[in-house]
This record gives sequence, structure tokens and C-alpha cells, in this order.
Amino acid sequence: MLDLTTSLTTSLTTLLVIVLMATATYLTRIMGFLLLRNRTLSPRMLAVMENVPGCVLISVIAPAFVSDQPAKLLALAITVLAATRLSLLPTVFIGVAATGLLGRLMG
Amino acid sequence: MHTSPSLAVPVPDPAADGMPQTGKAREALRGLTASLPVMLGFVPFALVLGAQAAQKGLSVAELALMTGLNFAGGSEFAAVRLWTSPPHLLLIVGMTLLVNCRHILMGAALAPYMRHLKRRQALPALFLMCDETWALALADARARGATRLSMPYYLGVAGGLYASWVAFTALGAAIGPRIGDLEQFGFEMAFTAVFLVLLRGMWKGVRASRPWLVSLVVSAGAYLLLPGAWHVALGAVAGLVAAVLLEEGHA
Repeated sequence: MLDLTTSLTTSLTTLLVIVLMATATYLTRIMGFLLLRNRTLSPRMLAVMENVPGCVLISVIAPAFVSDQPAKLLALAITVLAATRLSLLPTVFIGVAATGLLGRLMG
Repeated sequence: MHTSPSLAVPVPDPAADGMPQTGKAREALRGLTASLPVMLGFVPFALVLGAQAAQKGLSVAELALMTGLNFAGGSEFAAVRLWTSPPHLLLIVGMTLLVNCRHILMGAALAPYMRHLKRRQALPALFLMCDETWALALADARARGATRLSMPYYLGVAGGLYASWVAFTALGAAIGPRIGDLEQFGFEMAFTAVFLVLLRGMWKGVRASRPWLVSLVVSAGAYLLLPGAWHVALGAVAGLVAAVLLEEGHA
């Protein structure tokens, strides 16, 4: 009986954590839109906002640039090179293959 | 015909509602097609997340609920890593906010392209906004020189990614430990590759990209020096501060 109560409490806490987590995430998703939808930005502010996509994307992948494994750094260099001249799908294939193969050979 | 705002009758907007059904379907299909290479990156990660969650004692249903309601991979990896039985509520919700606060900036950048939408159209659509959908839809609008997002395209990309994320995280939790170590196959480079191609599309020369360099250096430094997920928020904000300073330098 005690076990049942404990596991029930645990799964209720799990449910609560998941719902609150999802609520927090959804709020981050709508906040920027709700704050800016009725506002006209100054040209200077627009010029700054132009940089948002690049700065966000590069901040997400930055850890790959300081990997402590030489094989991963080399694979990253190959992927960067591929990204400058190929389209999405071949770049993804080359990046994954280079990382997998170099990891085998050098790791 | 001459119309003034006060007399304006609700004329269906050609780009929003008046688009013929076949046009909408074609746009959605174009979005779904664009999401396929990204899915290649999603699937291995989803399986790994599922397997990790199963090890932490989450059931398939609980994990599917998490990925289905939250739909933000970074915060889900963080939550599963920090998961205990029972889970620590404040720690996990706080970490989720930290990992996902980049969405605020992303939504702000998307807002000018969504101004034509009613709130009841925009708010549900934003539920599906993840890094890749956001970047693809924004890049698509810019490439077409449009001031509005193509919503069927956005929903095509988002729908494909959402379905594959939820399905494959649940599958990962179901087959669990049998998956083994996917890192040896190099799939973790898939996301980096997608992001690099998107960045290439936004490239406007070295001079214009100086804020990116600031973001890269600050984010990498924060990743090496700080615990948790501070690097994304700090890197993005540092790059924007640099952009503001550079703009003021020009003025």
C-alpha cells in the first residue's frame, strides 16, 4: 500500500514536471512574437535583429569548434568546407560520414 | 476601387487565406521535403534520447508526453540527464527555461513575418517552432524576398519534424538499451552540418558577420568554462550586443 502511494506520487510529480517544462518552453516560443507583433522597429533595431538567426545558430553549434578530440575537429573542418559549396543533404552525408570514419581511424 | 481603412470590408488576403488549396498543398509538400534532410539528424538523436530516458526509469508514455508537449530537444536531453525519481521540479523547469530562452529572440526575429496572422493562427503555429523549422522558414521567406512567412511551408517543415521527433523518441524508449552507442557512427555532426548550410545561406561577407564571430567565441568559451547550458544564451546575446555596438559605430 505504501509502495502504491509512493509510485502514485512519483508519477504525479513526473506529470507535473513535464507539464510545467512544456509550459515554460511554450512561453519562450510565443514571447518574442507577442512583444514585437504590434511594434514598428527602427531601421537600426531592424539591422540588429538581422543578426539574430546567425548568432543563435552559431551559438548552438559552437561547442563543436572546441572539441578535445582531433578527429572531431578534422571532421568539422571537412563539414565546414562541404557546407560552403554543397546543398543540405550532401553536406549532412559528408559530415556524418567524415565524423564516423575519422572517429574509427583516429579514435 | 478606392478603399479607405475605415470602410474596409474584410477582403480575403491573397497570401494568407485566398491561396488556392492546391497551392497550399504544394507549399506544405515543399516544406515537408525540406524537412527530410533535417530528419536524418533528428532520428538518431531521438532514439538516443529515448534510450537514455528509459534508463532513467521514464516510461514510453511519459517520454512521448514530454517530447510531444515540450518538443525542444536540447531541454529534453538536459531534463533526462537531470532526472531522478521523483524528479526535481525547480531544477528541471529552470534548466528548460535556460536552454530555451533563445526562442524569445527567435520569435522576435520571426514576428515581422507573421504580422499578417491572427493571434489564434500564430500562437498554435509557434508551438511547433524549433531551431530548424524557424531557420528554414525564415531563410525561405528571405530567399523569396517576401515580407510574409509561407505558413503552409512552415507547417510542412514543422509537421514532418514534430512527427518524427515524437515517434522516434518513443521508439527509442521502447527499444531502449538495445540501441547502443550511436556516437560511433558520427550522427552528432548532422545538426552541425544543417546549421552550417543555413549559416552559409545568411552569409553577407566577413564584415557583416563580425557579430557571428563574437557569438562563436563567447559561446565556445562559456561552454568550456561554465556548467549547464549557458553557452547558447550568452553567445547569442554577446553577438547581438556586438551588432548594436557596430551599428552605433556606423551611425
